[in-house]
Amino acid sequence: MPQHAWIIPALPLASYALTVFVGRRLGERAAYIGIAALGLATVLAFWTLAAVGGGASAAMSVPWLRLGDWEIRMGFQVGRLEAAVLAMVTLVSWMIFIFSKGYMHGDARFNRFYAHLSLFVTGMLTLVMADNFLLFFVAWEIMGLCSYLLIGHWFEEVENARAAFKAFLVTRLGDVGLLLGIWTLAAATGSLRFADILEKVEAGELSGSLVTVAALLLFMGAVGKSAQVPLHIWLPDAMAGPTPVSALIHAATMVAAGVFLVGRTYPLFEAAPAALATVAYIGAVTALVAALIATVQTDIKKTLAYSTMSQLGYMMLAMGVGGFAAGLFHLEAHAFFKALLFLAAGSVIHAVHTQDMHRMGGLIGPLRLTGLTFLAGALALAGIPPFAGFFSKDAVLVAVHASPYRALFWVALFTAFLTAYYMTRAAALTFFGRPREREVIEHAHESPPVMTAPLLVLVVPTALFGFLGPWFQAFVGGHEAHGAEAAPVQALAIGAAVAGILVAWAIYGFRALDRRTAIRLLKPLYVLFKEKFFFDHLGLAVARLGMLLSLAVGAFDRLVVDGLVNGVAWLVLLIGRGARALTAGSAQAYALVMLAGVVIGLFIYQVLGRVG
Amino acid sequence: MNWPLVAFFFLAGVTLYSAYRVVVDETITHAALYLAIAFVGVAGFYALLGADFLAFVQVLVYAGAVMTVLLFTIMLSDIREVRGLKLPLFRRLTSPRWGAVPAALAAGLAALLLAAFAGSALLAGPEGRPVGLGELARALLTTYLVPFEVASVLLLAAMVGAIVLSKGEGER
Amino acid sequence: MPEAGVPVGYFFAVSTLLFSLGVFGALRRTNPVAILMSIELMLNAVNINFVAFSRHLGAADPVRGPMFAIFVITVAAAEVSLGLAIVLALLRRRRSADVNEFDALKG
Repeated sequence: MPQHAWIIPALPLASYALTVFVGRRLGERAAYIGIAALGLATVLAFWTLAAVGGGASAAMSVPWLRLGDWEIRMGFQVGRLEAAVLAMVTLVSWMIFIFSKGYMHGDARFNRFYAHLSLFVTGMLTLVMADNFLLFFVAWEIMGLCSYLLIGHWFEEVENARAAFKAFLVTRLGDVGLLLGIWTLAAATGSLRFADILEKVEAGELSGSLVTVAALLLFMGAVGKSAQVPLHIWLPDAMAGPTPVSALIHAATMVAAGVFLVGRTYPLFEAAPAALATVAYIGAVTALVAALIATVQTDIKKTLAYSTMSQLGYMMLAMGVGGFAAGLFHLEAHAFFKALLFLAAGSVIHAVHTQDMHRMGGLIGPLRLTGLTFLAGALALAGIPPFAGFFSKDAVLVAVHASPYRALFWVALFTAFLTAYYMTRAAALTFFGRPREREVIEHAHESPPVMTAPLLVLVVPTALFGFLGPWFQAFVGGHEAHGAEAAPVQALAIGAAVAGILVAWAIYGFRALDRRTAIRLLKPLYVLFKEKFFFDHLGLAVARLGMLLSLAVGAFDRLVVDGLVNGVAWLVLLIGRGARALTAGSAQAYALVMLAGVVIGLFIYQVLGRVG
Repeated sequence: MNWPLVAFFFLAGVTLYSAYRVVVDETITHAALYLAIAFVGVAGFYALLGADFLAFVQVLVYAGAVMTVLLFTIMLSDIREVRGLKLPLFRRLTSPRWGAVPAALAAGLAALLLAAFAGSALLAGPEGRPVGLGELARALLTTYLVPFEVASVLLLAAMVGAIVLSKGEGER
Repeated sequence: MPEAGVPVGYFFAVSTLLFSLGVFGALRRTNPVAILMSIELMLNAVNINFVAFSRHLGAADPVRGPMFAIFVITVAAAEVSLGLAIVLALLRRRRSADVNEFDALKG
């Protein structure tokens, strides 16, 4: 079976093509193309997973391009890592495709939405299965493109177009690093294939500094794609896109690609401890900062966006401290419950037509199903057993605890506290308490089954995936060993989560602590968080600097370069005018010039030595 | 007392001064007269060098015939130097045509030539000897016969040309 | 015949200066007759050179210098007469005697 795994990305690709060409005639029924394709892909992915679990694996590569005596091959590989991720991606994508049929109903560019969505999934699946950097990068870029297209789906609103652009540009910045890293490795090893490169790395054939540089460059790409600090500024803005997009791209798949990259090239990072440390620190910082900002968000989607950022930081942190399997475990678990959360949020938005949580409240009544599924996801995210989030986050914490990074452990723990806090806050504001606006609550009604069914489906892995933890980590990893210190860490994790929930409930639930007092007390912090640590301002400043630079260069080009060219022309004109005087028609003038020539010639002969 | 040397310097002074007046004098008739003196001076040089016949020819042709023609032309044409050396000093110095440039170039030429000569090995060489008239005549009719004949043709052509030119239109 | 107790270099100096003066005049003067006179000066200078060098260095063929000088004189005479004829012809057309006015070669 795994030999045929290439069908899996081919299906959404076919869906894309079909939707583009035939979709117009089908109207909204074109969605079934995508849904069918994804459904089939999901089945195939699970089948492959089973096969790989049984010991099979596949790799296939064909020569693609010849440059002199350098051959580039294209191919794919399906091993345990790939199979595991494929299964998750296809399932989540399938659910989102189904959900979108209801959510995007009535949209003016319904079919185009599905087309882009299909193309995106193609990219992600290809990325997972690629066996060489070239294909990987192509898929990476395809996803970036689709992200841009989908964020800006409602481009009539200028803000949406800007957000799409911002996303594209910021990730592009990271991509530069990625490309440089790829080139470095290709130049050093003469190959673009993962197998070749990693083999050389593990054999110790590359110098330490080269490996470190390459790893850091690759990580730059991951930082951009996975919205780590400092290239994270695009993710909150990306919420301007339709919610299914946020669920798929910015929760479950694309942003996970960065983590996947680190995972795929893990031996490289292991050989470069400095790079690995960088990964850990950036991950930790991102996790903390994002969580802090999430505590003061009013938009439900933005809260989830920052939450994603924070959890991605967790994954990076896990990777960075050697917890390869833990990081991947969290990746998958997070994908399930974050997608669930986003879709549930989408359902809410669909019902109340607003994203501002301060306008919601008490929605648990009319939106019972949505609300309950949301709560499931929230509990998972907060890290409450028996939900998946607890197990995956716990795995991460254990890995960090087992590592020499003492400080980062406490950071991670504190972040867990914050996570529980802001999720509870979100849930409380949205679903509980007294409704804040009359119109909002009166019009609220539960979403149609096409939207609630996926929610229910996703609750299953949200609840149960955690129990697959040990199996999963063994299946995928073998890169970390964690011992019996699990118990105290677990206790701490649960404690932090519960504490977070209690504090949030106190403020937003019973109103034991007044929100406004809290804000007043912590005003400077509040502002800091609200302004997202001023990163956007930083980004703007950098952009302005860039503009200044380009203005300077432009001025230089105009004045100096053009001036030089014009100056030459002017000089020629001048000489011409002067030369015209030589043909003045006066014989004496001619004679004068002739004499001048003779004298000069004599001078050269006399003074500067004989000629010839 | 090295009489030839004395004679030389005397002649040189006369000739050069006259030449200077030729190129500088505004009044054309004065310039012409000074030219005549210069011609005679050159004849003197020839004599000094032992080319008697040449000196004789020089006086005859140059100081005689050529000067006559020149003076005739001057008288006939009544030319006056329109512009010339009477320019204000500033223009004389700066104007490329009127001023310093020709003078500088000429001076430069002189300097370079003299320097070239001074640095050359020409100074030491086998001494020649003065040539007598008979020798010249003989050479003219043997070695240099062809140029001799060509010269006669040339003179003929010049004569005809001069006549044609001075006749002007309508007077064939 | 007076012996040439004068070094050939002196003759060369005189002829050079004479030539330079002639050059200056040829370039400087506006009167065509004056220009012709300057040219004559140049020719004479050249002649002096011929004779002097032949006298001092031409042991092999002592005739050459003076012979050349004779031909120069011949041609110069022809040239002068023709030149003056042209001048007169030109003057008949235009009243002015300024060489600068004859700029038909301009452009």
